[in-house]
Amino acid sequence: MFLKKLLFKNKTQDIAPESGTGSVLIKGDELKRSVDKVFGRSLFVRLVDSGSCNACETELSALSNPYYDLERFGVKFVASPKHADVLIVTGCLTRNMLNPLLKTYENIPSPKFVITAGDCTETGGPFKDSYSVCGPVSKYLNAVIHVKGCPPEPEAVVSAFLKFMDIVKASAAC
Amino acid sequence: MNKIMIDKHDIESDDFANSAENLKTSGKYLLGIVAADERVLNSKFSVRYFFGGTEGIEEYCVKTDESFRSISKICPAAKMYEREIYDLFGLLPEGHPDLRPLMLYPENWDSSVHPLRKDYNGVIPEMKKYGGYKFKEVLGEGIFNVLVGPVHAGIIEPGHFRFSLAGEPVLQLEIRHFWKHRGIEKVCEGKDFKETLDIISKISGDNGVNIAISYLEAAESILNIEITERAKYIRVILAELERMWNYVRDVAWIFMDIGFALPAQNLFGLQEELMRLNKNLSGHRFLFNSLTVGGVNLDLDSAKLKAIEETLKKVENIIKDSEEFILSSSSVLDRLEFTGKINKKTAEELSLCGISARASELPRDTRAEFPYLIYGRLNLKPYILDGGDVFARTALRIKEIYLSKKIISDLSSNLPEGNIAVSFESKPEAYNYAVGNSETSRGNAFFYIMADDKGKIFRLKYIDPSFRIWPSIQYGVLGNIIADFPLINKSLNLSYAGNDM
Ligand code: SF4
Repeated sequence: MFLKKLLFKNKTQDIAPESGTGSVLIKGDELKRSVDKVFGRSLFVRLVDSGSCNACETELSALSNPYYDLERFGVKFVASPKHADVLIVTGCLTRNMLNPLLKTYENIPSPKFVITAGDCTETGGPFKDSYSVCGPVSKYLNAVIHVKGCPPEPEAVVSAFLKFMDIVKASAAC
Repeated sequence: MNKIMIDKHDIESDDFANSAENLKTSGKYLLGIVAADERVLNSKFSVRYFFGGTEGIEEYCVKTDESFRSISKICPAAKMYEREIYDLFGLLPEGHPDLRPLMLYPENWDSSVHPLRKDYNGVIPEMKKYGGYKFKEVLGEGIFNVLVGPVHAGIIEPGHFRFSLAGEPVLQLEIRHFWKHRGIEKVCEGKDFKETLDIISKISGDNGVNIAISYLEAAESILNIEITERAKYIRVILAELERMWNYVRDVAWIFMDIGFALPAQNLFGLQEELMRLNKNLSGHRFLFNSLTVGGVNLDLDSAKLKAIEETLKKVENIIKDSEEFILSSSSVLDRLEFTGKINKKTAEELSLCGISARASELPRDTRAEFPYLIYGRLNLKPYILDGGDVFARTALRIKEIYLSKKIISDLSSNLPEGNIAVSFESKPEAYNYAVGNSETSRGNAFFYIMADDKGKIFRLKYIDPSFRIWPSIQYGVLGNIIADFPLINKSLNLSYAGNDM
C-alpha cells in the first residue's frame, strides 16, 4: 500500500553528480539492505532510451562491470517491463519514441516508479529545440528521482538507487 | 594546412545518373549524398554526391527544383540517402525502388512537411496518426516472423527488427530505424561554430572525440584556422584512446554474447580503467569538451603521460589474454567463424567503411585514405582480413588495439612543444563550404558544412559510419540462426544514435 502512496507524490528528487566520495561498496551494502527488506531482495529495473546520444546507456551498462557489479546489491536490469518495478528513462524523448515509451510504462505492473537519468531527460539537452523532439520526459511521466549528469557517472546512479530506497522506506513509515 | 582537396564537377542529373555505372566500375565508392536548400543563392536545391577512391574525394553537384534521378538501382548504397532527402527536403528521387518514409514517421508526422527546407515555417505537426508504414512480407508455408523492438531486452538503443524464418535459418531481416531521430542537422542551423561543436559531440557519445575531429576538419578549414602541432598530437592521442576503449568494449561484448564471462569481465574491467583514465586526463569519462575550435582544451603534462603509459601496459596484458582465449578455444572459434558473413561484393555495393569493410577485404580506413591531422605522417596501411565474419571483425579489433597503443606511445614520447589552442577572429566567407573526415571506431565520419552570410551554420550534414553499415546486417544474417543475431549485431556494433541523428 505504501508503495502506492508514493505514486501520487508528484515530486522529483534530484541527484547531483558527486565527486567520487564514498565508495561504491559502502553505498552498495546499504542499498542491498534496503532492497532486501522492501523489495524482497530484488529490485527489477527496465530501461528505455527515448533518444539519447548513447553515452547514458554506456554508463548504465558499466554498472554491470566488475567495479560496480550492481546485481550483487539486488538491483537487476530485466528484459521485460512485466517483471520490472522501476523504469529508467534516458534521452531527450523523440516523437518517434513517445509511443514505445508509454507502452513500456503501461506494461509495468503497479506499483511502478520512474527514474530519469541524464540531463537530456530533464531539459532535452542539446536537442531541445528540434522538430522531432517532444520531450522532456517529465511532460509525460512523473519521476521519483532524477539523476543529473551528462551522462551520470555509474556511481551517481548507485546513489540514486539508494536515495530511491530512502524515499520508499520513508513513505512506508508514514 | 592539410585541407582535403576535392575534385568538383557540376553536372546535370540525367548525365550523372548515366555515368554512375562508370564511376563504380572505376573503383570509386559512394561516401555520401548531401542535399541542401540553396534557393537563396541560386533559386535551386543542390544534391551533392561525394565519392571516395584512391585519388581522393570527388564531388558531383546536381542542381534541381523538385526532383532528381535516383541512382539506387546502380548504386545500392545511395538508397538510404535518397529516402532521407525525400523525407527531409521533399525532393523526389525519380525511379527509386522504395520511397517509404525514413525518419519522419507517418504515425506522427504529416508527410507534406519537410523540415530541412529553408521555407519550413517551424510549425510542428500535431501529434497524431497521418498514415501507416508497410513492412515487406515474406509469405509461404511454414514461414513465421519474429518481431523485435524498438525497445530491446537489455541496455540497448531502440530499433525495430523483423525476422522472417523458415525453420531455423533467417530468410529475411528487415530493419526499421530512426526511432531516435533528433533532427540534429536542423538544430545546428543558425548556430555558430563553437555552439555546433557542443551539439555534434553528442551525436553519438561513445565516439564524440572522433566525430568532433571530423567536424573540426571541416570547420577549421572554412574558418582558415591552422592548429598547432601540439594540438594535433593531442587530438590524435585522444582519438586513439577513444578508439581503444570502444574496441575493448566491443570485444568484451563478443565474449559476453557467446557466454564466456571470464574474458568478457576482464575486458569490461579494462574498459572501466580506460574511462577512468579519460576522466583523469580531461575530467570526463567520455572526454566530452576536450576539443575546441582552434585546438584542444586539455594539455598532457608528464603526470598525465605517465598515467597513459601505465594504463597502456594493462591494455597490452589483458588483450594478449583475450587473444589466447579466442585462439586456444575451439568452441569460441566455432561460434565466431563463418557467422554473420558479409562478402566482399556486398561490402562494395553498400559502400561499407571501417572494421566492417576491412573484415570483408576492403582496405578502407580514413586515417590512411584521406589522412588528417598527423595521420599522413604515420604511413598507416589498413589491416584487412577476408573472412567477412564475426571472427574477422573481432580479430581486426584486437589487432587495431595494438596499433592504437603504438600510436599513442609513439606520440606521447614525442609531443612537440607549443600552445594547445590558437585564438581566431576569422569569419567564414559567406556560403563557403568544406568537408571533413575522420575514422571513428565504426568507420568513416563525414561532415559537410556550409556557412551563411553571418558566419553561422547554413547547412550541416553529418554521415555516420553506422548509417552506411546498418543495411549490410540484413545480408550478414541470411542463412544464420536467429540466436546468432545478437552476436552478429555486436560484431558490427553500430550506433543507433549516429544513424538516426
Ligand atoms: S544527457 Fe548527455 S550523455 Fe546523456 S544522452 Fe543526453 S547528451 Fe548524451
